[in-house]
Amino acid sequence: MRNRIPILLALVPLTLAGLAWRRGGAELTLAGLLQGGQTLLSVVPLLLAAFLIAGLIQTLVSREVVTRWLGAGSGWRGLGLACLGGALIPGGPYVYYPIAAALMKSGAGLGVLVAFVTAKNLWSLSRLPMEFALLGPRLTIIRFAATLLLPPLLGFLAEFLFGRQMERIREAAP
Amino acid sequence: MTVATLSLVILAAALWGYAWRQNDGSHRRGIVLGWQTLRRTLPLLLVAFAIVGYVNVLSPQTLVQAWLGPDSGWSGLLLAEGLGMLLPGGPYVIFPLIAVIYQAGAGLGPVVTLVTSWAALALISVTFELPFMGWRFTAVRWGLGLSVPLLAGLIAQLIFKGFL
Repeated sequence: MRNRIPILLALVPLTLAGLAWRRGGAELTLAGLLQGGQTLLSVVPLLLAAFLIAGLIQTLVSREVVTRWLGAGSGWRGLGLACLGGALIPGGPYVYYPIAAALMKSGAGLGVLVAFVTAKNLWSLSRLPMEFALLGPRLTIIRFAATLLLPPLLGFLAEFLFGRQMERIREAAP
Repeated sequence: MTVATLSLVILAAALWGYAWRQNDGSHRRGIVLGWQTLRRTLPLLLVAFAIVGYVNVLSPQTLVQAWLGPDSGWSGLLLAEGLGMLLPGGPYVIFPLIAVIYQAGAGLGPVVTLVTSWAALALISVTFELPFMGWRFTAVRWGLGLSVPLLAGLIAQLIFKGFL
């Protein structure tokens, strides 16, 4: 699945190049490539710093620490720790879903798990530099501020509405 | 953008210094990991910026402003949420694209909804969630999450627009 994404994605610029060709011939087709190249060059220093930060966070935050936090608390404290763990844990879905699944098996509550996944999605610290670099400071700050309260809130809501059915939810997991 | 560059470089230097003081090789491992990620994602980056270039020269301003503009209201937010779910790929691919859409005249609310929807609801990450967490957890998390991008867009539009 993951290996096919870049190939599928490569179809998009090809289609767009075709569109440019139809509208403006070779000139516009080339202009598109040049424009993209210029934009890429202008963010190279930002990207280098962002990748370095992501790599450093990856080595400084260990999976064990995050896992311990998630098992540690209940109630609002548990939700808070889950959110903090989600914000700190680096890596893509193939990293945090195995962790969340292991926690679910060892008895973590629904609210904690939903808060963890949502905080990873919305607060992810290792992704922020990338967002900052490519979307700009203003948009990043507003986006982050607008979603600041949502991870604990969603965790609370999930626990409140479906927390009692956690046994059945756990049964559905492989 | 120089402020952005400067703050990221300072942050990177501070983290590197902290890693160096750990005295366990973290500082070297961090650079290697960052470099590996960069190398792995380089083809994707090139593809993403080719898309950015073409979207720029094809100038979809009228299209973007009509559908996702500042005055697009609820339909703009809903469209942004739907689009966000469908975006495939990691941040290095998605953020340049969203930047182009923003520059082409999308409103603050729709753009925040778009980023949030991609981050919280992307169908591509649901394909990871299902096998690990089971369909009941996924249904609860994703179903409740449907409200999140709309809320984020609304908050951005109503509260933060005037401040920054």
